[in-house]
Parts: sequence; structure tokens; C-alpha cells
Amino acid sequence: MVQSKIWVFAEQRNGQLAEVGIELLGKALELARPAGWKVASVLAGQSLSGPCERLLSFGADEVFVADHPLLCSYCSQSYAKVLDNLIREHHPEVFLLGATAMGSDLGARLAARLRTGLSAHCIDLELSAEKKLLSVVPGWGGNVLARIYSPFTKPQMATVMPGVFDMPREGNGRGRVIPLDVHLTPADVTYQVLEINRRAVKENGLEKAEVVIAGGAGIGSKVDWQLVEGLSSALKGAVGGTRPPVDENWAKEDQMIGQSGRTIHPKLYIGVGISGQMHHMVGIKGADLIVAINQDPQAPIFELCDLGLVGDFKEILPLLIRAIQDYKA
Amino acid sequence: MDFKLTEREELLRKTVREFAEKEITPRMDVMEETGEFPVDLLRKMGDMGILGVITPPEYGGTGMGNLARIIVLEEMGRVCPAIPMAIQVHHMATHALSKFGNEEQKKKYLPPLAKGETMGVVAVTDPSGGSDVAGIKTSAKLEGDHYILNGRKCFITNSHFSDFWVVIARTGEGGRGLSAFIVEKNFPGAKPGRKENKVGLRGANTGELVFQNCPVPKANLLGHEGEGMNIAITNIAETGRPGMASVALGILNAVLEQAVKFANERALYGKPINTLQAIQWHIAEIFSDLEIARLLVYRVGWMRDNNIRCDIESALAKQYACEAAARSARKAIEVHGSYGIMKEYPVQRLLRDALVTIPAGGTGEIAKLVMARHALNMFK
Amino acid sequence: MQILVCLKPVPDPKHWSRLGLDPKTKTLIRDGIPNIINPLDKKALEAALQLREKEGGEVITLSMAPPSALSVLREGLAMGADRSILLSDAAFAGSDALATSYIMATAIKKMAHYDLILCGDQTLDGGTSLVSAQIAEFLGIPNLMHVSAIETQGSGAFHIRSQIEHGSMVVEVMPPVVLSVVKEINEPRYITLMDILKAEKKEIEIWSSRDLSLDEPWVGLKGSPSQMVDLLIPEGKRKMEILKGDPPEMAGTLADRLHRLGYC
Repeated sequence: MVQSKIWVFAEQRNGQLAEVGIELLGKALELARPAGWKVASVLAGQSLSGPCERLLSFGADEVFVADHPLLCSYCSQSYAKVLDNLIREHHPEVFLLGATAMGSDLGARLAARLRTGLSAHCIDLELSAEKKLLSVVPGWGGNVLARIYSPFTKPQMATVMPGVFDMPREGNGRGRVIPLDVHLTPADVTYQVLEINRRAVKENGLEKAEVVIAGGAGIGSKVDWQLVEGLSSALKGAVGGTRPPVDENWAKEDQMIGQSGRTIHPKLYIGVGISGQMHHMVGIKGADLIVAINQDPQAPIFELCDLGLVGDFKEILPLLIRAIQDYKA
Repeated sequence: MDFKLTEREELLRKTVREFAEKEITPRMDVMEETGEFPVDLLRKMGDMGILGVITPPEYGGTGMGNLARIIVLEEMGRVCPAIPMAIQVHHMATHALSKFGNEEQKKKYLPPLAKGETMGVVAVTDPSGGSDVAGIKTSAKLEGDHYILNGRKCFITNSHFSDFWVVIARTGEGGRGLSAFIVEKNFPGAKPGRKENKVGLRGANTGELVFQNCPVPKANLLGHEGEGMNIAITNIAETGRPGMASVALGILNAVLEQAVKFANERALYGKPINTLQAIQWHIAEIFSDLEIARLLVYRVGWMRDNNIRCDIESALAKQYACEAAARSARKAIEVHGSYGIMKEYPVQRLLRDALVTIPAGGTGEIAKLVMARHALNMFK
Repeated sequence: MQILVCLKPVPDPKHWSRLGLDPKTKTLIRDGIPNIINPLDKKALEAALQLREKEGGEVITLSMAPPSALSVLREGLAMGADRSILLSDAAFAGSDALATSYIMATAIKKMAHYDLILCGDQTLDGGTSLVSAQIAEFLGIPNLMHVSAIETQGSGAFHIRSQIEHGSMVVEVMPPVVLSVVKEINEPRYITLMDILKAEKKEIEIWSSRDLSLDEPWVGLKGSPSQMVDLLIPEGKRKMEILKGDPPEMAGTLADRLHRLGYC
């Protein structure tokens, strides 16, 4: 008998599991244990034994596997049909997916098929005392946070942004695999994937850059400025600076960010040796994630950042660059 | 009295604002450096309908009217006042031709202006002085089928980017001895002369036109002989002054925006300076200048669209708006403290732009004479 | 080609600092904030207009909104749409994405024929990205999201480029299909003064619940399974999380976070 009450969609393409499916598995296990619930991962595709093993090693109590040639490539209608049948058979309480290209699409169609509520792009999940799923969802460009639940319909669905939850630890998987009978015909696959292209990430100007690494007076010398450029290079970002680096000719005029310079809205901003004076911070206040690295724990930037590292950039940056390059390898 | 804008006017404002922000902003630095109008924008503005906003539909325009024109100029002026300076003069040529031209002249000269094939020019000012129209010396002597033009026009906007010009020249004696002509650049003896180097509104070209025994066909006489003074004055009152006032409105918008942004961000004594009363007063004064100028200028647009004579209101709007723009730009510079006098901040350019609007399109002194004459006759 | 474009009016982000929160009803106070066309919907409309220029046909915009949306619809007509339909009824108020998709799909079913339904991937305010896929589900037709290019083929099929993580895929699909677009797809055209005048002569139809055969329980607040527990405007303060450890530990932690967010 199927026991799991929280199900997590284990997104995969060509046998590669998306990390968000594992992150959500971890979170689901964390939510389920106090409620006395079990957790299942749901896999759909073709030739799935590898991903299946991995999911078990991350602690899934059950892994549903829909392995079928017609599922070899993602198609929203065929995947939704298979999952719909499965859900109607076993009535899980909660169904989670990553808020990815695939997860957003599949989750939406599935929620409509099941006529259930879905909280999209969640940045947090909780289980209420009544064991109802509470989702925290940003709206209005992040200016507003809403806590949403769908208490009257099942399953309660949510899609969650990748990277919100930490990866769980691997262990000795003791869960069981439940292979599924898949009933699909070619007519269920309503589009054909002709090609897949991987994008090469380009270096952009400051205004369009998604990643900006900026250095301030604290860098101290042109030689040390190379560390700033090195970090930017490693993250395929653009280099910016406050006024002193420009005055000292470590950075160019058009790289200056601040009140008399430019205002930018990158996804990631890392400020190195920047104290956090108003005119610079105003230039970057639209950044999604602000990381600060500075030796002075009293530097104003630490009250204006998301992540702060108090220390000598000359020590931190080389280690950081090396670690980043290791991930890329 | 309905002070609301229509849905059409709101949509117009929105689309011109978007166009200006996207198309004009990237060209501003080069314009400020070189003083040159970005001619490649002319066609785009033609396609947008900006150039033909007061051109009747049968000659390629939309005929949306004068209030629409003011909104168009204001929105472009918010981004870069030099552009509407050039365009408002372009509209002046359109107005002179629509109002005083015969059918052949309108059919020939209005469509290229509406489309943006060339820029429009109205050349009144002689070296003898723009305020002294009756003192014009540029002469036009009838010889056979042609008027022979001799003389110079100065401080003419768009002088170097236009294929034809509306020129006021002397055919007889005194104030009633002036006539208007459509002079094409390719007529022998007609050419643009020196280019001026203005301290502000630098993207609008201003220069000289020179005529040396230039033969102008009789068919190019605009209106009748002797109508020149009337054409010049009507043109200024109905189109020139509201146009310059709209440029000043654009400057006022930009000035307020710069002052407010700076006041909200700059900190002194641990707080943003917008908490300081002295700064708040500056902001309030700039705000009230903008609101007052806007009401005065929009009223002229409304009166024109309703065919109500508005020489006085037009003089008032122009004189007030341009003074207000200069005054407010000066205050905005003070709000900025020392940053205000640095070239990398736009406020100093806005002050220079505002200064240029004061004598352009008629001096404040002449406008005050117009108003005084009217007021002194009010209580008889 | 018959193309429907879903347009949603959203409050202008330039005025979002004026958003207030009513502590009693836990709803946002949106009074006085002017509306614009959701930017991605505008791009969807631009894509439709470009297709009509190539293939001929009609572009119709569809919106579910209160009557104040009329000015936004007029803007869509000024961009070049042929006509607009506004679904407006007090009964629709409070609809979440599911109920909204149901209502819009029901309206679309009334159209004799459609080849394409275009939407933006996401709206600026709610941002759920659910509606396009859910409309497709209610209509029983295929859908693709994150669309960055649309090409017609002689065979009548479409070749659609759809973004995935770190890349994109090209998909062949037969109409009718629902496509939701991303910002890379195009730059919308300017509305000219001539377009504004033309738009004033175009038709906006208003349909209410009487014009649609809807199942009552699935509409409005009643038909919205998702409910709000709480709404808050965060202080705008950043997380201010200070990492612990010596430089190697801090560097390792930061690198790990950056990796999981997809930066390396």
C-alpha cells in the first residue's frame, strides 16, 4: 500500500536529476517527519534506474517510476496525464515541484486537471498545526510576501525556486521503488522536441550584467584589483567600482557605480573592500542578492547586504575563485 | 471647467514618453558635445506622427491639434529639451504653410515636413534685430516672374537641416511692406551660413541663412505682398510662443525630477536632505512653478484648438514658463550643493537650456509689452 | 491566422512605492496607481502582430478585468490589435489563477476558431505563471512556456523556441496551441499618433457572466482553491546573514551557495 503523503516531482532530463527535486525531497522529509508522514519522489522519463537509486540514497521512502519510451522527452500533456492518473489513484496530501521551466509548466497543467490550488515560486514552506501546507510567495516584484494555503482541495501543490532549500545529505536508502504501468499512445505526445541548445554565457556591460563584482577603496592597489577581476571572470560577470578605484585608475570611468555613476539591477552583486557609502549603495539597491566582503565588521555595507563575509579579501578571494572553478570543472 | 486630459491625450503622453526615453536618451551625450541635431531621428519622428501633429490629415499629418502638440513637446523636453526646440520650429513652418499657403504650396511642402524628409524653418530675425520686425532689411525685389532676395537671417533654428525655408523679406516700405516667401535651399544664391555655438539646447542647430541675388518664383510668395508682418506675428503668437513654452515645460519637469531624486538620496547630518525645511521650500517652489507653467501653456493649447484668439495668454505662457524654467533650474542646482556645478550632473545643463529659451521665439520684454498694452486697456 | 492575445492590466511599477496594506482585510490598497499592460503581455501582442503581418489574419485581445481596464485595452488596439474583448463581472472578483483560467477558457470556447493563444509568461503583480498552461488544460490543447521565438512552417506547424535552464529547445507543434512568451522574444513597437486615432474606431466588447456558460462554484472567490492567510510588506531590509568561520570556510560556504543558485 502506498504510504507517502508528500510527493515530490523528481525533474530530470536525459537521466540527469535536477537538483531542485532533491532539495525539495530534503525539505519534504523535514516537514513530513513531525507529522508522521512519509515522502515519495515521482520520476517520469526513460531509463531511470540511475536517478532512482540517487533518490533512494537521499532518503525517499518511496520512488514512483514511470519509465516509458513515450516519456523520453518532456511534453506537458503526456507527463500531466501520467501524473494525474497516479495522483487520483493514491491521493497524496501535498505535491511539490521545482519552479523550473519544466516544473512551472507541468505543475500548472496538473493543478488545472486536478482542480486544485498551486502556490507558485515559493520561497518557503511550512506545515500548519492542522497539517496543511503553508507557502510563502513573493509578489509585486518581491515588494510583498503572501502566505497562501489551499485547505479544501487535494493535493496541495506548490512550486519552489531552486536553491531555496539546502541539499539533504546522502545516506543508506531504505525506501522502495514502485514501478508504474504507463498507458500512453503517440497521440498523447502533442509536440516534438527537435533540438536542444546549451547557451554560452557572454560577458555583458554593467547595465545588463546579471552578475556584478565591485571593488572599493579597500582593494588598495592595482595589483590587488586583479583579484576583483578574477572573481568576476570566474562568475562570468561584469566589473564595477566606486569612485576611489576609478580615481586611482584601477577601474575605468564607465565602471563606476553610484549616485553620479550608474544604477544597476544585477541578480548577484558582490562588493569587495567597499564600505557601503550611500551613493554607491543607491546604485545597487535593485540587486537581488548582495554579498559583502570587508575587513571592517562595522562597515555600513553589512547592514545593507544579504550575505556578509568579515575578513581580508586577499585571503578570501583566491579561495573563493578556486572553489568556484572547482564547481565548473 | 474640465482640467482632465482625455484618454487620447494620456495615451499620447505615454507613447511619446516611451519614444523619447528609448530613442533620444542614448543620443544626448553626443548632442551636448557636438551641438548637432540627430538627423536620423527625424524620419522616426515622422513615422511616429510627432512631426505632423498639427498638419491637417489631407497633407500627411494627424491634425491632432495644439494641446496634443504641447504634450508631445513637453514629453520630449523632459528627456532632452533641445529636441523639442528643433521640432517646435519645424511645426512653425507647418503652421505658416497651412494657414497662409495656397493649395499647390500646401500639397508640395506640407507632406515632406510631416514625414520627416526635411526640417522646417521660419526665418524672421534679421541682424537688425528679431524684436524689431518692422526694421527688417532683407529685401525681395520683384523682377519679372521672380523676387530677387538679398540679405541675411540669423539665429535661425534648423538652418542647416532644411530643404526649404519660410523667409520674411521687405517688398515695400514700413511694417506693411513685408512679405513671406518659401525659399528652397537649391535656389541659386541661397545657402546656410555660419553655425552658432549655443551654451544650451545644444542639439538644436542654430545658424545663419544667406541670400545673394536669390531668385524666388512668384508662385512661392506665401499669402499676399504686405502680409509678411501679419504672418510673422501670427506664427509666433499661435505656434512659436506655445512651442518654446512647451520646451520650458519639459525643462521644468526634468528639473523637478533631478532635484527630488537628489534630495531623497543625499544625506547630511545622518538623514536625507529632503528632511531639511530649506530644501523642502526649494522643492515646493520648483513644483509650483511647474504646475503654474503647465496650466498656462495647456490653456493656450486649448484656446487654439477651440479657435479662441490667445495672443495675450500665449505671450504670458511663454514669458512665465521660460523664466520659471531658469529660476527653477537655478534652485535645483542649489539643492545639489557642489554637485550641481559639476558637469557630470544634468542640472547645470538644464539651467543652460533654460537660459536659451528666454530670448528664443520672442524675448520676455516683448511679451511683457504685449501684456502691458492689454492690461492698460482693461478698465476703460 | 486567428490569434488571441491575453492582456492583463497591472499597476504601473513606477508607482509601487505608493502600495499600502490594509491591515484589516489583508488586501493591498491599489487606489490611484495607474495601470499598464503587463510588459510580457505587450510582447505577446507584438509577436501576434508580427505573425499577422507575415501570415494575414486577425489579432484579438482578451482580458479579464474590471471596467477600469478599458484604457489599457485601447492601448492594445493602438498597438495594432483588430478588436478587444473584456470579460468583466463582479462575480469574477477574487478569482485566483485557476478560476481566472477557467473563465478565460470558457470565453475562448465561444470563438469559432483560433490558431494561437499568446500570453506573457508571468505578470508583474501576481506572478504565478499559471494562467497560460491552465487555459491550455481547460481547452485540451498543447502549450509551451518560456517562448523566445515563433516560426511558421509551410506545413502549418509551428517551430517554437522555448527556454530551459542554461539553454533552449526547439519544438514542433501543430495549432491550436497556447504559447507564453519571455522578454527576449521581441521589442514591442511604438504606438504612433496615427495608431492612436485608428484605435478609437476599433471595437471593445464587454462580456459578463451572462454571456458565458460558467459553472458557478468554479468562479470568483468561491472558485479559488488558493487562499491568502497573511500578507506582509517586508521592511526592505536585507537578510544581513554574516557567515561564520575562517577564510577557507567562508569562501567554501559562499561558493556552495553560489553554486546552488546556479552562478557556477
